[in-house]
Amino acid sequence: MSYLHLKVPPTRDERLKPCGAFGGTIDDLVYGHKEGCLGSNGRTFAQATGCQLNLAMGMAASIPNTVVIYHGPVGCGAGSLAIAGLSKQNQLARGNIDAIGRVWMSTNLNEVDVITGGEEKLKQAILEAEERFHPHAIFIGNTCVPAITGDDIDNVAGQLQPDVKAKIIPLHCEGFRTRFVATAYDIVYHGILRYLLGDDKADWRPENEEELRDYQERSKRTVNLLNVGSMGYVDEVELVRLLNAIGLEANVYPCFSPPDKFVKVRDAALSVSICATHDDYFVEHLKELYDIPYVLNTIPIGSDNVRLWLLEIADFFNIREKALEVIEAEEAELREALKPLRKFFEGKTTFVSTGEIRAGAQAVMLEQDLGMKVLAIRTHHYDKFGEVVFDHFKGRDDITINVATAQPFEQANLLNRLKPDIFLGHAGSNVWAARQGFPVLPIYGPVNSYMGYKGVFEVAVRLERMLQNTNYYNTLGDTTTLPFKDFWYDEDPYSYIQQTQDAA
Amino acid sequence: MVSFIEKPRFTCPLGGALATVNALPKAVAILHSSQGCGGNSNGAIQGAAGHLGSGYCGGSATPASSISEKQIVFGGVARLEEQLNSTAELINAELFVIITGCTAEIIGDDVASVVRGYNDEGVDRPPVIFASGAGFKGNSYFGYDSVLQSLFRDYVVKSDKKTKGKVNIWGVPPSLDVFWEGNLLELRRVLEGIGLTVNTFFTNKDSLAELKASANAELNIVVSPVNGVAAAEVFKEVHGVDHLITDLPIGAKATEAFLRAVAGRLKLKKTLVEKFLATEKDNYYHFFNRISDSYADIDLQRYAVVVADTTYAVALTRFASKELGWLPKLVAITDTVEDYQEADLRSLFAQDLANPDETVVFETDTSQMKERLFERWPKPTGGKYDRPFSPAFVIGSRLDSEFAESIKAGHLSVTFPISNRFVLSRGYAGYHGALHLTEDIFSVLVAKR
Repeated sequence: MSYLHLKVPPTRDERLKPCGAFGGTIDDLVYGHKEGCLGSNGRTFAQATGCQLNLAMGMAASIPNTVVIYHGPVGCGAGSLAIAGLSKQNQLARGNIDAIGRVWMSTNLNEVDVITGGEEKLKQAILEAEERFHPHAIFIGNTCVPAITGDDIDNVAGQLQPDVKAKIIPLHCEGFRTRFVATAYDIVYHGILRYLLGDDKADWRPENEEELRDYQERSKRTVNLLNVGSMGYVDEVELVRLLNAIGLEANVYPCFSPPDKFVKVRDAALSVSICATHDDYFVEHLKELYDIPYVLNTIPIGSDNVRLWLLEIADFFNIREKALEVIEAEEAELREALKPLRKFFEGKTTFVSTGEIRAGAQAVMLEQDLGMKVLAIRTHHYDKFGEVVFDHFKGRDDITINVATAQPFEQANLLNRLKPDIFLGHAGSNVWAARQGFPVLPIYGPVNSYMGYKGVFEVAVRLERMLQNTNYYNTLGDTTTLPFKDFWYDEDPYSYIQQTQDAA
Repeated sequence: MVSFIEKPRFTCPLGGALATVNALPKAVAILHSSQGCGGNSNGAIQGAAGHLGSGYCGGSATPASSISEKQIVFGGVARLEEQLNSTAELINAELFVIITGCTAEIIGDDVASVVRGYNDEGVDRPPVIFASGAGFKGNSYFGYDSVLQSLFRDYVVKSDKKTKGKVNIWGVPPSLDVFWEGNLLELRRVLEGIGLTVNTFFTNKDSLAELKASANAELNIVVSPVNGVAAAEVFKEVHGVDHLITDLPIGAKATEAFLRAVAGRLKLKKTLVEKFLATEKDNYYHFFNRISDSYADIDLQRYAVVVADTTYAVALTRFASKELGWLPKLVAITDTVEDYQEADLRSLFAQDLANPDETVVFETDTSQMKERLFERWPKPTGGKYDRPFSPAFVIGSRLDSEFAESIKAGHLSVTFPISNRFVLSRGYAGYHGALHLTEDIFSVLVAKR
């Protein structure tokens, strides 16, 4: 299914036909999606979300010593201002000592450029980026305006590449082109595949015969561990630890990985994804182009899913027994550590909200590892990859499922009905639960552990801490008024979802 | 020639417009734009504005038409109508402001007709107006002005009666001036102190009712040489209220000059004004002069670099020079400025800098600040009698902390963007604000003691 011959890969809307709006039970969701009747769902009342530009450029910007250029009016990419210092910390944490942090530019298109085109400004920006920063790569993020007015960023990139050392990588991540921001991952991977993996520099493999043999032997036990921009270094360390424990080595890509390391992706024996939403496009292409098989099932959050994830990897290498040994030992150790905490969680309820893979897995973890009860799962979108994570909850009509990207109005209605003890959600949505008085644990973050066995323990410890003192959130609930009219809380939370062509 | 910008210190008009509406009590913005505009703006106008947060119905709660490819091809009016009606049904508000983005304006949706249709329906619903926020029309400061213009034309009611001593304050853009609410509250306080009735519109002391009735003011005061000036012209044209343009006052000297200018313009009784000024001056120096022991013992005079938008560049340079006795050697204005505007902007510094032509530079790009400095100060050569640029302090934004570190200068985030501080009710304007600013700057100087 290689799309690399295309300048612009298909959007998720076309390729996976996800569902972006739904309310009901898990079985209704899984069945409805299979029948194909959920894809056209939209909302007649909608609230603001991000677009694929932010996600794509965020992923690109995590790669050290790169410059991202937003080709568009000056507002596109302004969100970077909120995290000016964060990127450098994340890069330094992974040992990228020459981290320059996040460097971005805007071609600052104005009214004149809308009429006459902005390609000249883009050329200037690329040349100046090279001159000032000598980056390894320059990502160009195309935005709504130049896409409509017809700027050809691929042409500009091609024209300038001979004069510029940095790899110029055009990304077609215009906001309006997709209703599912996850398309961004495909766009960036498309750029990586076309521009960073095709490098045939022989010097990434050792020249010396003995060293080369060693390298090739090791490659047979090396996996590509595909990370995501939102995970902390501590999660990468934990996952690599587990892979090492079963005798495998791992190279971590693409986020935070220096561009000149990418080419080694081609030598690995297996690609391992931790999130199908993030990686399905990439791993399929690696298989087709370089014959690298892959494991793409679940995210290693919670002992059930860590077991599933690790065993499928082990099966590929025929080391199931070794893996089971490691898993049994880790699970026993974890169970011991969780013992004093479990009684605290008995009878406590929760509500999780984030991307489909993480939401499903985290929900399983909260029930299986901590003994809590999950009242509801909200997921940004739903497609076929969600099945494996939601399989655990087959038949569970007691769990409310809402497919929505943010849309706090639906969340508020549900929270008011369900009243969980604690809410775990995505940045931007947490505050709306907090304002109803619910304590909140952010469901991901750049510093804390969430994955592997360590992740289970750390999430448990943080939840226990939060539930010990809920004063802050209670007071917030008492002193804030939400903007929704009173009648809304008695309405069907999904009343603004319709199968309609016009709705958002 | 206006070209690309490295790390722009503003967002687009939509972001500025959104920040402005979010700060109006009980007003709610409705975005009519591509799917991502709202989410993208939040980082800039919330996170980078001292962790301001989403407010009443902002952030991920902002109602939005979220148009996609379908609407771009076939038009977005139907979707906007649908969103406007559903928003009025679901959201508690006293005013809705539709803000149009790039794609909606490129495809030419007739928003005016949607608004007319809504208002014509006569159902008991909050009024709606619309403002242009297309990204290619300028930057976030333009967005602030754009919302003001729409409010002045379509929301503020005409009034033949003018109330003596009533003034409106404009020119402090929410979020883009990270200390906007504290600043407005202090400006309100000092103007009330000289006997005026004051409206600041965006603070928790204000209401939409007052905004609606603001045409009965005697005078508009615009506390910025650039922000809100075009809107004030519209106010004059539509409602016949004139305006006075001043700088943003920081410190006793600047605030005194500000109040005297207002008093003079409004022909206020001298005795009341002078009494207030005397009390405030006493109070200010009662606290400000406490720094004197340490200032004298440790030598806390500094060479200063100011990196700011136009308004703060003037205000901070004046404060640093006149009150702190510091030496601004580089003033970098980070706004996008056309060549023909440069002379006028430099003239704003005539009373504060010996040589504005040399000291003031127009530089949008963060990585270039160091080069700009060493065009105005000898580069260090390692020689015995080098004149180092030391001791130095950078009063700028969060983006300038690395530059400050590289020249071993102190640093405080004062201008937009500020992601490394929380700002609640703190202001830097007026008398109280200047005391806050002094505390914050001097605390940096002694942070390691």
